[in-house]
Amino acid sequence: MNTVLIIDDSDINLTLIKALVLKLGECAPVLFDNPLRALDWCREHVPDLVIVDYMMPDMDGLKFISAFRALHGRNEIPVLMVTANDQKEVRYEALLGGANDFLTKPIDRVEFSARSRNMLSLRTGQKFLADRAAHLDALVSEQTQEIRNREQELIFRMSRAAEFRDPETGAHIQRMAYYSQIIAKGLGLDEKIQKLILEAAPMHDVGKIGIPDYILLKPGKLTFEEFEVMKGHAKLGHELLKGSGSETLRAGAEIAISHHEKYDGSGYPFGLVGTKIPLFGRIVAVADVFDALTSERPYKKAWPLADARKFLEDGRGAHFDPMCVEAFLAGWDEALEIRQRFQDEEAPMI
Amino acid sequence: MTELFVFDRELILDRLGGDEEILTMMIDLYLQDVERTALSLVDAFDQGQADAFMREAHTIKGLLATFSDDAGAAKAFGIEQQAKTGEISGLQPAVAALQRRLYEVADVLRREMGSVR
Repeated sequence: MNTVLIIDDSDINLTLIKALVLKLGECAPVLFDNPLRALDWCREHVPDLVIVDYMMPDMDGLKFISAFRALHGRNEIPVLMVTANDQKEVRYEALLGGANDFLTKPIDRVEFSARSRNMLSLRTGQKFLADRAAHLDALVSEQTQEIRNREQELIFRMSRAAEFRDPETGAHIQRMAYYSQIIAKGLGLDEKIQKLILEAAPMHDVGKIGIPDYILLKPGKLTFEEFEVMKGHAKLGHELLKGSGSETLRAGAEIAISHHEKYDGSGYPFGLVGTKIPLFGRIVAVADVFDALTSERPYKKAWPLADARKFLEDGRGAHFDPMCVEAFLAGWDEALEIRQRFQDEEAPMI
Repeated sequence: MTELFVFDRELILDRLGGDEEILTMMIDLYLQDVERTALSLVDAFDQGQADAFMREAHTIKGLLATFSDDAGAAKAFGIEQQAKTGEISGLQPAVAALQRRLYEVADVLRREMGSVR
């Protein structure tokens, strides 16, 4: 059913046009003898066709069309302007001002029907295209989300693969990712960036895949040479992830290579100082260390929370970016909830 | 206005696609509104409101044209054009003539309705 808005200050014209519109079939006429009230109606309703008289008190047809076109989403609705035969200049102005076509008085039914049907066909086409565009948009969003979900799952599984070769657990990946998000939020980074670090942080140690078992799984202290090999996981992770088309993987590459840098320049692999260290690396450094300290491992007990907190505080400006530590401590309660939510479990078999 | 109004039923019906129902409805509406239409024209003129007067003349022009009253519509058009200039003081005779024309058309339409019904 098409909604046809008819605006004319003359009752006889309103009635005539209404009767002609009803003869078109599949049309519901809406009548106004006052253009200002019609405009109010248009703020809440979207007609499929507007038929408006030119000469009316309060607001003429040209001004009505201009005001109507200015309303959001009304730019393409077909408009027919009704004018007298002698108003050629008005017709030109109407066509230039946003009317799609015009009707001359006295109204001729054949002309009226033909022009109205043309306008309604135009509108049907517009609605079809809009529906199709919306449908395609929804379809693309759905498919994109599926791809994103698959990408996330792959990232998580890849991160787990690295962690399985390590005493650390899947829960560690999730906790440190959420801690990283808390810090990003505390630093005032926008939600998109917070989400990006949440998704990318789990890849921080993915380079451990390339570290030999006798070093990675060695129960005792590593020798200098072994530690040098171990340090290579940062670059290995970066090599694995860099240059990806995925923003998340690129962020993962940056985190992998920079999360062992220290604020005072004593970290690795490059010994970067302060803000030379990428922000994501500085954030993940705090999150990763805090979780490592507060988690139990085969070779150590979990630190008490107060001790771990003090370690972070003491490390401000040395190991850690002070701003990142402050942001983490500001979200302390939230961090404890995360810790509670993701408890260590037996690692499942792959 | 010397030319008498003649109701050309076929011509009007042709314009309305042969729809008797719509024609009857339009005649009914004209007869219902003719008094008010004539008074609105005279009121606007008496009050010297050139804009409102012009619009009333314009409306009457369309109304008479609907019934194919070319002479009446031309008269209304002349008044509308004069009113557009803002100078309406000398239009008293023309206004009276147009008012008479409205009633004359109404009389013819009333007879037409009587003969049809």
